[in-house]
Amino acid sequence: MAADSEPESEVFEITDFTTASEWERFISRVEEVLNDWKLIGVSSGKPLEKGVYTTETWEEKSDEISFADFRFSVTHHYLVQESNEKDSKEELVEDALPVAMQDLLCMNNDFPPRAHCLVRWYGLREFVVIAPAANNDAVLSESKCNLLLSSVSIALGNTGCQVPLFVQIHHKWRRMYVGECQGPGVRTDFEMVHLRKVASQYTHVSGLLDIFKSKIGFPLTPLPPINISIRLTYVLQDWQQYFWPQQPPDIDALVGGEVGGLEFGKLPFGACEDPISELQLATTWPHLTEGIIVDNDVYSDLDPMQAPQWSVRVRKADNPQCLLSDFVTEFFKLCRRKESTDEILGKSAFEEEGKEVADISHALSKLTEPAPVPIHKLSVTNMVHTAKKKIRKHRGVDESPLKNEVLNTILLYLFPDAADKSADGSEARTSTSTGSLPPPDSEDYNLYIQFKSAPLDSLTYKLALCLCMINFYHGGVKGVAHLWQEFVLEMRYRWENNFFIPGLANGAPDLRCCLLHQKLQMLNCCIERKKARDEGKKSNSFDRSSSDTGTPDLLGRDYHKESDKEKGEVGKSWESWSDSEEEFFECLSDTEELKGNGQENVKKGVAKEGSKETSALKPEGRLHQHGNLTLLHPGEPLYIPITQEPAPMTEDLLEEQSEVLAKLGTSAEGAHLRARMQSACLLSDMESFKAANPGCCLEDFVRWYSPRDYIEEETVDEKGNVVIQGELSARMKIPSNMWVEAWETAKAIPARRQRRLFDDTREAEKVLHYLAVQKPADLARHLLSCVLHAAVLKVKEEESLEDITSVKKIIKQIIIHASKGLRFPNPEDKKLEEIIAHILSVEATIAQARSLKAKFGIDKCDQEEERKDLENFVTSLLEQPEVSVIGAGRGPAGTIIHRLFVNAQKVAMMLPLDEELKRSDSSDEKRLNSGSVADFPSPAGHEVILRTIIPRPAPYSKPLPQRMYSVLTKEDFRLAGAFSLDTTFF
Amino acid sequence: MDEDILTTLKILIIGESGVGKSSLLLRFTDDTFDPELAATIGVDFKVKTISVDGNKAKLAIWDTAGQERFRTLTPSYYRGAQGVILVYDVTRRDTFAKLDNWLTELETYCTRNDIVKMLVGNKIDKENREVDRNEGLKFARKHSMLFIEASAKTCDGVQCAFEELVEKIIQTPGLWESESQNRGVKLSNHEEGYRGGCGGYCSML
Repeated sequence: MAADSEPESEVFEITDFTTASEWERFISRVEEVLNDWKLIGVSSGKPLEKGVYTTETWEEKSDEISFADFRFSVTHHYLVQESNEKDSKEELVEDALPVAMQDLLCMNNDFPPRAHCLVRWYGLREFVVIAPAANNDAVLSESKCNLLLSSVSIALGNTGCQVPLFVQIHHKWRRMYVGECQGPGVRTDFEMVHLRKVASQYTHVSGLLDIFKSKIGFPLTPLPPINISIRLTYVLQDWQQYFWPQQPPDIDALVGGEVGGLEFGKLPFGACEDPISELQLATTWPHLTEGIIVDNDVYSDLDPMQAPQWSVRVRKADNPQCLLSDFVTEFFKLCRRKESTDEILGKSAFEEEGKEVADISHALSKLTEPAPVPIHKLSVTNMVHTAKKKIRKHRGVDESPLKNEVLNTILLYLFPDAADKSADGSEARTSTSTGSLPPPDSEDYNLYIQFKSAPLDSLTYKLALCLCMINFYHGGVKGVAHLWQEFVLEMRYRWENNFFIPGLANGAPDLRCCLLHQKLQMLNCCIERKKARDEGKKSNSFDRSSSDTGTPDLLGRDYHKESDKEKGEVGKSWESWSDSEEEFFECLSDTEELKGNGQENVKKGVAKEGSKETSALKPEGRLHQHGNLTLLHPGEPLYIPITQEPAPMTEDLLEEQSEVLAKLGTSAEGAHLRARMQSACLLSDMESFKAANPGCCLEDFVRWYSPRDYIEEETVDEKGNVVIQGELSARMKIPSNMWVEAWETAKAIPARRQRRLFDDTREAEKVLHYLAVQKPADLARHLLSCVLHAAVLKVKEEESLEDITSVKKIIKQIIIHASKGLRFPNPEDKKLEEIIAHILSVEATIAQARSLKAKFGIDKCDQEEERKDLENFVTSLLEQPEVSVIGAGRGPAGTIIHRLFVNAQKVAMMLPLDEELKRSDSSDEKRLNSGSVADFPSPAGHEVILRTIIPRPAPYSKPLPQRMYSVLTKEDFRLAGAFSLDTTFF
Repeated sequence: MDEDILTTLKILIIGESGVGKSSLLLRFTDDTFDPELAATIGVDFKVKTISVDGNKAKLAIWDTAGQERFRTLTPSYYRGAQGVILVYDVTRRDTFAKLDNWLTELETYCTRNDIVKMLVGNKIDKENREVDRNEGLKFARKHSMLFIEASAKTCDGVQCAFEELVEKIIQTPGLWESESQNRGVKLSNHEEGYRGGCGGYCSML
């Protein structure tokens, strides 16, 4: 330990902090924070390069301290520079000025486009601010202000910190800061004046120079030269001559397939108001010295046209009303509605629904006994009228939420087959249902996988767009409820009449799509099975359907009615004999065989109960021969049987089923039970196999079903011949394993007479019930993914017209985030809101780009090069906070801006517009001509920076940087001075 | 008890019939080997909690039947899986040759495209090997999968296979969600700060 060597006296030197005042504690806290942030010691750095305040990033860190019970936040703002950090460290100069003082004079970063106000006022690259922590707190009294400033001064002195330290005083909105910076033997005081009105002598450069001179109080003449930088900012808000091109669509118009000027299936796009609210032109004289220009009460040399630098920024409207975003947002709001369809459509509709529900409960029995179906012509209008009549009847005078023609248009759009249908008779259906559009393999087309929505050409997708539009233009949630009711009715109608639902991919539900889409696909599967079954019955007894086709329209319909009746009767007879049985699965491909020996089958069916095994001798339900395989015992060819298709599943069913299976646990019994539950398919296949291959054994079945479980070995028998001997694998030979068990219980029954594995009637009713109970909010949640998908596609399409790089990037991000957010069931609202917000911002950006392009007349520009320059200019306006105008007032962009101002001025002065105003050369002349009217309005902002180096406070002191910034706007006047003085020689 | 579990992962085992899928799983979950394990019907299910790099993960492992006919039934269970183990039998070349079919099937039915795939060559304890290790390696590389050879009988590589797979899944961002809360994926903060002039930032003057 080093303790021994230390002088003893130190041990007894006790410093007593017990009586420290709040003020002392506050100061020590400030020092602590400065220490923590390692702001102690000599600050150094090279002079900053031009523009770094915009190109490099600013960072800040904060801490909280308190003075008694008043909380302050301390924030360190600093520019992060990636390069040259280390090089600058090496050349430390003793007694160099703190970097902050050097920054005061640096002219490379005047008027930064976006920065903390202290940066703008003092040109600092690093500083610390102490401000009241609570937003509405303020340090108001003068003594408190001074106390704070003193604390700062003491803390800086104690720590040797060279970073300027500011305190914010007065109300926050006034942005009043006072502060101090200390260096070796030097100090800079930061002072500020903030006034609402200012005497006229200080509104120009000469007045400000007077203030500056008196403030630095330089005793000697002549004064060293004072550097002056001036920036005048002009604001243009009046775009008179350019009407914003987009009109909100006229919602009352209804032309052909278009409603409200918008086709169904298309999303609107664009801003309803000008998304660019203001153009600010900053004219800058970056480097003047006193005497070069005159700017006083009576005369000014500061003509904006002559300013050497022009820069422009645009202010974007805060929340421009954009059509697409409104659409999507409104649709999203639907998700939060609580009402059910019945509540929305009124009590009467509820009664109606009540009947509907009753219908459903009887539906099963009703459907299994196929009563003749009364309506046979599928005409949307017809359907709509009936539904509508019902609604009207119950509601009395009330108008239904959707107008007839709107509803008709929508239904025709959703069910295009309905139009042909009413004319052609029922058989045209299959062709329309089987994927009307060839699926393009493009990235855009497959986007639905990422969004978990539905393919572009699908019914679900179209429905989503229609509901979106109805929600916006045609009656809001009521309209949505109404259309949905109609939609569900149509679904039931189609199920009951064996009409496929159009616009859905064939086959089992696509689990990559949204649940609603899967449900509809499921319903289609049910319809397909039911139709096959019904057709099987029909062809079984009467082979008439073929003669149906081609009959003229009117006659055809009558004919259909008749045949329906017949069908009904036939059905009855079919059902009657199998009444006691469960419903049977009827194979599609079985029909051929059925046609041949239908009668026989019926007989067999009747006989079946009594003589199972005897009838099994006759093979049934063969699909085709299985290669050259022959049965082991009879030696007959082995046939692959016609089998039942497994049940299609939607993701919720699947979820349910996996849950059930998982719940059985991992025990042996659980596994056994699980296998048993899933053996239905195996059993059915075994029965079919037995039926197709009379006299077969398990080995035969295994050779077809699981060939690797039949092990063949070449052996040499007694006679020396090579004989192939086969046997079941060990696992198949385990006594009473499930395969053996199933094989033993399996009877020889062809698939078409087996109990159905998939009960289409029940499943269809489940789906229809599911659809019927969906509230508009549920519906919106189901379809939101489709709407977002459509919105992104729309944005993409619009972007491709404008080609904006930044937008491209955001769209990519939206897709990535959407695919993450929407993949899981019930995505959080917050994520959805974020996605919507981003779509909104993209739409606004595109609208802004269009607005700017129109304003700068890019389309009217004929010269290729000029046009390119202008395009670049507009792009940078969108992406950068401030863009300098090449050639200032004389360049092509400058000329256009000038013209914009001139015209606005004329409008303001009620003078006729001069559309003919030519290019730059005429502008001087122009000014002369227009006489009294100035080209530019009075500047909205008037900024002046005055800088010099002089010794203060005494002539023999060290020469130090002095700076004063002033800004004059319509609302206020501010002087921000930084005055340095020598603390050694004064 | 479940509190320290980071996440629940769904893992699938697929491959031709008789390659030892169920045996691998049994070895992993119960550390036993049953030479007379009945052929799986449909799908089977087992659960095991393992710890990888200090992260506990609960694995719900779905074992599927390899028979062609069951293949119409089992793909429904592919949904939502984060990892898949594709098994072949090193002593039967035909099970290796069918791997391509399984991959296509996986691609068709899997709901996500970033699923982690592992190739396992099983039954390396047997002497009549038909598929060389290098072939397996080559196939795995071609399809960017993890690869290991294993034996459910001798226990070689089984534990390791599952651990590797889980580790890989946990390392894949966005593939799994934390049990405690759905970690929100933050959209880029593009444009944040462009709005609102608080904090002393001002856009003009």
